[in-house]
Amino acid sequence: MKEVPIIEMKGIVKVYPDGTKALKGVDFSVKQGEIHGLLGENGAGKTTLMKILSGMLHPTEGKIYVRGKEVRFKSPADALANGIGMVHQHFTLVEVFDALHNIILGMEGHGLLSKINVDKAREKLKKLMEDLNFRVPLDVPVEDLPVGVQQRIEILKMLFRDVDVLILDEPTAVLTPIEVEELFAVLRKLKAEGKTIIFISHKLNEVMELTDRVTVLRKGEVVGTVKTSEATPQLLARMMVGRDVVLRIQKPPKEPGEPILRIENLWVKGDRGEDAVKDLAFEVRAGEIFGIAGVEGNGQTELIEAITGLRRPEKGRIILNDRDITGRPPKELYDAGMAHIPEDRTRMGLILDMTVTENAILGLQWRKEFQRWVGTVDWGKAKRHTEMLINEFEIVAPGVDAPVKSLSGGNQQKLIVAREVSKKPVLIIASQPTRGVDVASTEYIRNYLVKLRNEGKAVLLVSADLDEILQLSDRMGIMYEGEFMGIVKPEEVTTEEIGMMMGGIKYEELNK
Amino acid sequence: MDIGSIISIIVTSLMAMVPIVLTSVGAVWSERAGVVSIGYEGVLLMSAFFGAIVAELTGSGVMGLLGGIATGIVFGMLHGVLTVYLKGNHVIPGIGINLLALGVVPFGILAYWGTAGQHQVTVTLWSWQTKYGKISPMIPVTIAIAIITWWVLFKTPLGLRVRAVGENPEAADALGINVEKYRFWSTVYGHALAGLGGAYMSVAWLGVVQKAMSAGRGFIALANMVFSGWNPLVALIGGWLFGFFDALATWLAPLHIVPGQFILMLPYIMTLIIVAGIIGKARPPKWDGRPYKRE
Repeated sequence: MKEVPIIEMKGIVKVYPDGTKALKGVDFSVKQGEIHGLLGENGAGKTTLMKILSGMLHPTEGKIYVRGKEVRFKSPADALANGIGMVHQHFTLVEVFDALHNIILGMEGHGLLSKINVDKAREKLKKLMEDLNFRVPLDVPVEDLPVGVQQRIEILKMLFRDVDVLILDEPTAVLTPIEVEELFAVLRKLKAEGKTIIFISHKLNEVMELTDRVTVLRKGEVVGTVKTSEATPQLLARMMVGRDVVLRIQKPPKEPGEPILRIENLWVKGDRGEDAVKDLAFEVRAGEIFGIAGVEGNGQTELIEAITGLRRPEKGRIILNDRDITGRPPKELYDAGMAHIPEDRTRMGLILDMTVTENAILGLQWRKEFQRWVGTVDWGKAKRHTEMLINEFEIVAPGVDAPVKSLSGGNQQKLIVAREVSKKPVLIIASQPTRGVDVASTEYIRNYLVKLRNEGKAVLLVSADLDEILQLSDRMGIMYEGEFMGIVKPEEVTTEEIGMMMGGIKYEELNK
Repeated sequence: MDIGSIISIIVTSLMAMVPIVLTSVGAVWSERAGVVSIGYEGVLLMSAFFGAIVAELTGSGVMGLLGGIATGIVFGMLHGVLTVYLKGNHVIPGIGINLLALGVVPFGILAYWGTAGQHQVTVTLWSWQTKYGKISPMIPVTIAIAIITWWVLFKTPLGLRVRAVGENPEAADALGINVEKYRFWSTVYGHALAGLGGAYMSVAWLGVVQKAMSAGRGFIALANMVFSGWNPLVALIGGWLFGFFDALATWLAPLHIVPGQFILMLPYIMTLIIVAGIIGKARPPKWDGRPYKRE
């Protein structure tokens, strides 16, 4: 007799209100007690599919069966009632609550108007944590906890609800290699206890290491489901991308020149008044890519904001071309030869509802070349300039007057790169330049950064993607809690050593 | 200043505190759930008007207060539908309510009672007449409401959910909490308390309906809410401070020490200075004033 799958999704179609077809008839099934990988590139529809399974989204068409019975989820509550819980990529925690209250929220266990009693919940959680060897502080506001711990709270939140099916959306993106190992150990233990786990990822080696079966999605369609033991990384990569992937970066050796950017004893505070950057010092030289690696949230954002004039440093100096630019406004920094590819393109890099042309000259609109004599923008010149950028950077856009949100993520990012480079900078600060960008655009952007370096520009690269840092950097600093654990050349260290530094061990201490 | 004056200023201050505290506490609750409203000024004024009508029609002060609450509920529901369900802007409906009140009340006074700008309310809530001034039972009721609201907000599952919905509705949603329901009824509760405060002004405290009798109290209540750090207990103290300076100003006015206009400014300025000085910068609920949509 054939075993009934615990989850079966049939013919799932999802059309977003803006007309985007995220899923085009997906069939997906998961067996009781397996770890099932859901693999695909950004935008392949993995998250959408799982949000439907967890009740966050409603499918446009299609049916869902749990243990062979058809279900219709109106909200996450219905999915939870059926034993399905999801840990989202962007955590859904109430930052000002402690872990305990985040976990019991909605399941306080007694009348709405009686005093909250946490004793029972605390007992249950203690036992859960004991069993899994998986501890979190229960009484500290979660905003004061590192992301790795926040993720554990999210997982505990679901286990507290006794879910049978645990969905994890890119859980390793924010973890150090050591934390990833710990997470995998916990997931294996859960599997041994009979839980079913759906593991969303775009990282081949993780899927290969952890899962029993893998379903690959591409552009909203299932490419296939394979047993992990019968798969190879090459096979999965081909299924995922639809062609053989060769992310080859040509990087000739180059002797760096004079320092362009010098950071001296820099201290920067974060949003909550904590010291996010602590006494940092380094320099970026002409013809060099300096990479900053590290788990996100270790002060990279604050550092970049301080350098680009978006956040005032507490102490220390930032020197660009022998000029002290500490605390100067961004416009002055751009005039001095700085360009900035910000980490969040939709929030800081572009104005989505404005046109390609308007976005292409953002920050340049006051320059003489785009102005008429009365001080208004010469849109004719701006459009010709934009067309030139579109050609040069191979940007796919419906036209210069189309809103920028009609471009794909990769093309949006290329537009930002084009705009920033057209400022003719001496220093390019690239923060997560290929996040959420398709493979072809990633390849293009990475090669372009190398080209800038070859032309003698200084490039400061911040990325959570370790491979990107390793491929591109001439030198790299590994950041942990606002400090560099070491500044090394990529070829001098092993991945394990970098992993240790990302976890807070100083380079000097490594070889003792 | 003799002891009698001091007692009388304190009695007057407690009377003056009621509408500010009720509105502040209501606004704290609503904003803790993430819904901003600036329409409390208009709600105060309209519920003073409708509360007085209900009191006179039924011959009962208590019914008048309930009429005020009903007025608050109607506008709270309107605001809730627009902001919570239709995901509209949180500020605009408040402007509408305030402007509506400026039209409805003067016209209503004229149309209903046939007097221009002012009407002496004939049925008022019972109060204890002392030689220091009258003391309304609404004073202990207001203090109790502030304390109970604080307790429910910070100690019960209901309060936990309301705060979660205002801080991170996505988190609440993912755990099966009906974000819209909690936000909607929180808005209604906030406006209902303002409605009670408005009816108190006409039916219990001043005994008149005037076309501009809210006199900025709805906005002072919002400032008080912010400076209280969205905490009903601190809002209670802040509201009493306003009442105190209001009473002090009334006491100072006949002495002609400083020009009357400056004295009238006293409660507004002193409340802001003191509460702002004590509490400093508070952090609002993270999703305050932002509509929540799943997709």
